Amino acid sequence: MKGRGLVAGQAGGGALLSQRAFTFAHGVDPSTGSVTDVRSDIRGANVKGTVLFYPFGKGSTTASSWFLEAVRHGNHPSAIVTEGVDLSAVIGSVMAKVIYGKEIPVVSGVTREQYAKIAPGARVKVTSTKDGARVET
Amino acid sequence: MHLDSSQEKLLRGEGGEAKQFAMEVVTRVGDAVGAGSLVPIKSAHVLAHYSSLHDAGIEVLERFASSGGKFAVPTSVDPASIDLQNWRSFGVPEDYARQQFRLCDAYAKLGGMRCWTCVQYQVCNFPKQGETVAWAESSAVVFANSVLGCRSNKITAGMDVSCAVLGLTPMFGMLEDENRTATVSFKLNLGPLTDLDYRSIGFFTGRRAGARVPVLEGLPASVTSDEIKHLGAGAAAAGPVTMIHLPGITPGSKTASAATAGEKVEQIEVSRSDLAAVEEDLSQTAELPDLVAFGVPHLSVNELGMLSKQLEGRKLKRGVKMYLYTSGQAYEMAERTGIRDSIEASGARLTHSTDAEISPLKRLGFNTVMTNSAKLAEIVSSEGEIRMRYAAQKSIIEEVTS
Repeated sequence: MKGRGLVAGQAGGGALLSQRAFTFAHGVDPSTGSVTDVRSDIRGANVKGTVLFYPFGKGSTTASSWFLEAVRHGNHPSAIVTEGVDLSAVIGSVMAKVIYGKEIPVVSGVTREQYAKIAPGARVKVTSTKDGARVET
Repeated sequence: MHLDSSQEKLLRGEGGEAKQFAMEVVTRVGDAVGAGSLVPIKSAHVLAHYSSLHDAGIEVLERFASSGGKFAVPTSVDPASIDLQNWRSFGVPEDYARQQFRLCDAYAKLGGMRCWTCVQYQVCNFPKQGETVAWAESSAVVFANSVLGCRSNKITAGMDVSCAVLGLTPMFGMLEDENRTATVSFKLNLGPLTDLDYRSIGFFTGRRAGARVPVLEGLPASVTSDEIKHLGAGAAAAGPVTMIHLPGITPGSKTASAATAGEKVEQIEVSRSDLAAVEEDLSQTAELPDLVAFGVPHLSVNELGMLSKQLEGRKLKRGVKMYLYTSGQAYEMAERTGIRDSIEASGARLTHSTDAEISPLKRLGFNTVMTNSAKLAEIVSSEGEIRMRYAAQKSIIEEVTS
């Protein structure tokens, strides 16, 4: 699958797939990595070390700092792949690089229909550059 | 994104570490959203509350402050997670307060106005029509675009401080004329409106508009800026809305057809049953609450005055607390004019520089919260820890006082 590379980097992990709009703000417990949002279809799953797929961001503009707090605890996904651009993921990832030296690639432009073909938990490799991004199983 | 030579220098670190970090953030965001350039802003509004920023957010703000960062434009700040003056008497744990004060210190070092409010446009940050600003706080962004006629995107945590330190923001979204045209129309035909109706109308509009820009027709001529403030907050809590065209109020939108630039758009009639559905959606219980919260967003002095009249001669029932959230400035004026005394005679308390949705309600021991704020009800209920009740101010007061 091809997408837009929003934040560059290379990473791999098990696929965690949400078909609904997603947010870290009040939606993921940063101290555990567990999805807590009552309206999420992956509630109870853990984002740590996964390649996290969701279509769009939603909710509070504080999501980037919730994401960064998960990074501080080491409970962040290894890469994020979305359909639309989720600014909170972009900002969270940029800050993670500067503050904690962690590289978490962010890719957009991969549709729900496309990633629905991936089996949950399947090993996924993400390569994100300025000129484009690849998501491979 | 095109950078001019002075911006290139900042990105290379020639303007110091703080500006280099800020440039990293804004250029990545600019590229992600397809912005062509960075443009100057007249003011910024940033977030510095512990409940959302956590320890990581403290490290970010301290990093900006310790590496020589200074806000390049007048900058105001959203409420803190605690009442900065009276936090002890509200039972806030010492360790929690200490982390909030680290954020306060870093923010002060960066040179921000210490106004700690989500209604900066009523208190300390007054842009004029046509200005470009970079504001966090979704409800204030709606007010800025819809009533003040200035231009702001909804700026996310981390990017807010970056824009403030640079005095620049990426050119995209609501800064561009073509994205400000209304693309969906809402029409009211509801008769007289209560305080709750304004919030529910906002919430319904925000939810149904989605990523579109709404125009809302049919508000009474008597509508106040406080009522629009709460309507906008409800809309922003329900969806990504950053502007609502209000014909006759929004600069440049004298009529609905001016708001849509003459285009035909989907028309949605708002009915009483739509508002009833919002009320049902935002309530999970019918029990007597242990906290009543008024003032999300912050109450103005005028609203405090009206509340003091409604509370006159009444006493809060046992087991119920009532907090009225406001800015430090409005608090001081309420104190000088006797409004605070008359409110607190009922057993209610006035609190400033913080707000309910960003304070540690669960840790303060609250399990059931009642409010007329759609924003508070939506945010708190999504976490599933506290049960919410959403009702009109008058009926809440009648229920919880005698």
